[in-house]
Amino acid sequence: MTNRIEGKTAFVTGGAGGIGWAICKRFAAEGARVICADITAPGDFPPENVEHRSYDVTDEDAARSAFARLGAEWESLDILVNAAGIEIEKTIEDTTLEEWRRSFAVNVDGMFLASKYALPLLRKSAGASVINFGSYDGFIADPGLAAYCATKGAVHALTRAMACDHGPEGIRVNAVCPGYVDTPMLQSFFTGEGSGGGGKSIEDLQQAVRDVHPTRTYGTPDDIANLVLWLASDEARYASGQLWVMDGGLSAQVQQMRL
Amino acid sequence: MTGTSDTPPALKRLAGKRALVTGGRQGIGRGIVEAFLREGARVVTCGRGARPDLPEECDWHTIDVADTAQVDGLARDIGALDILVNNAGVQVEKTVAESTDADWDLVMGVNARGVFNCCRAILPRMREGGSIINIGSISGHTADPGMALYNASKAFVHGLTRSIAVDHGPRVRCNAICPGWIETGMLDAGFDLATDPAAARKDAVARHPVRRFGQPADIAGMAVWLASDESGFASGQFFTIDGGMTAASPLQPGLF
Repeated sequence: MTNRIEGKTAFVTGGAGGIGWAICKRFAAEGARVICADITAPGDFPPENVEHRSYDVTDEDAARSAFARLGAEWESLDILVNAAGIEIEKTIEDTTLEEWRRSFAVNVDGMFLASKYALPLLRKSAGASVINFGSYDGFIADPGLAAYCATKGAVHALTRAMACDHGPEGIRVNAVCPGYVDTPMLQSFFTGEGSGGGGKSIEDLQQAVRDVHPTRTYGTPDDIANLVLWLASDEARYASGQLWVMDGGLSAQVQQMRL
Repeated sequence: MTGTSDTPPALKRLAGKRALVTGGRQGIGRGIVEAFLREGARVVTCGRGARPDLPEECDWHTIDVADTAQVDGLARDIGALDILVNNAGVQVEKTVAESTDADWDLVMGVNARGVFNCCRAILPRMREGGSIINIGSISGHTADPGMALYNASKAFVHGLTRSIAVDHGPRVRCNAICPGWIETGMLDAGFDLATDPAAARKDAVARHPVRRFGQPADIAGMAVWLASDESGFASGQFFTIDGGMTAASPLQPGLF
């Protein structure tokens, strides 16, 4: 514990998920007070300084009341992490309008609502940081993830817009764009319809995926939490409006022949 | 509208324009030479070695673009131009650790210094509204494994493209085309490195949304547009022509 965000307050949407939970724990270990906001409770017992609150990112009333309550308790908010997200593993042909809207409701509306209602509290911080979850899929496409790719492109553009609009108010806004990270979402991708798999076992598929990365591994939630911590800390005080790709070098390569 | 030998001269898109295309002996350069001729341009090309079997109306100059004096001589000989295509390029398939000084001189000499030499010598002789088209590469943005000097040389080309567009507009426009995998001798040389070239070729095609490699004519089509007045507002940009390959993640589990 190095207290890199000692005394700061943080609100993490999707905080009970794979990456979100790693962020909550890391923030708490570095001295922050953390709200883990999620529709489900975390699987682990929360450490000291992490409080789970039930929060549906698609519900405007929930956003309004969550930040009103926070204002009464904390007065200001230093860190907002918009980590809630879902992934529909389909092409546009197979995606229903309902699934499409659900993807945008969670991945984009959720970010919009939390950010909108957090703004008055973020302005009261001595230096606020908003960290949105984009994806390397917002730059290049994985097959069979059409709606997901589209929502992440929207997140990237929204990140730049928010950085531009609210930078003068002392609020930095960045997006973290993970590649393949070992989460339940990734395991679902391996077993999902979109992955194909060429008849291989999941273990062989996982190894093949590792081998394509220059680092020969995919990331862990802690790898992503490390970057989020830095962006949340005062060390990153000049970092804003950027899209931070964390993918083990995957997208630094062009398509390459194997065999 | 695409010009053919039957297109009336007035409807050809490059009618009345004079072009220099470096490295027109084969591959992409040759495809651009032929497309420019079809569209009514007067075309000069150059390269190391004797004149290849080119259409009669196309002039050939035997020069090495890496040699400043030879490029300056060529520029004096051919006079005013509307179009310069810096296509001449070489590749060496090595990592940084494997590359020798001779590899550096060869790759950076042709791909970087050659482009600089030609731009510097030709720019003062370009007519108002001229167009410089550099052949960059998708490898100038993201790395092809084992192609360190080539990748770096193409990043140089991209940087120079922006500088020329900024410094020499509005008189001259400058853009780069970034080809993906085009069926040329260079592509064959790449596949020859694979353990199983036929299987590697099949795998690579599957990574292209259009399910084929490019042909020199695919690049030439963009070169004609960038050379024509239709592209009069395009400058300082990179035009990737790769059959959709770089729009896809390099990791596609469906292929494994």
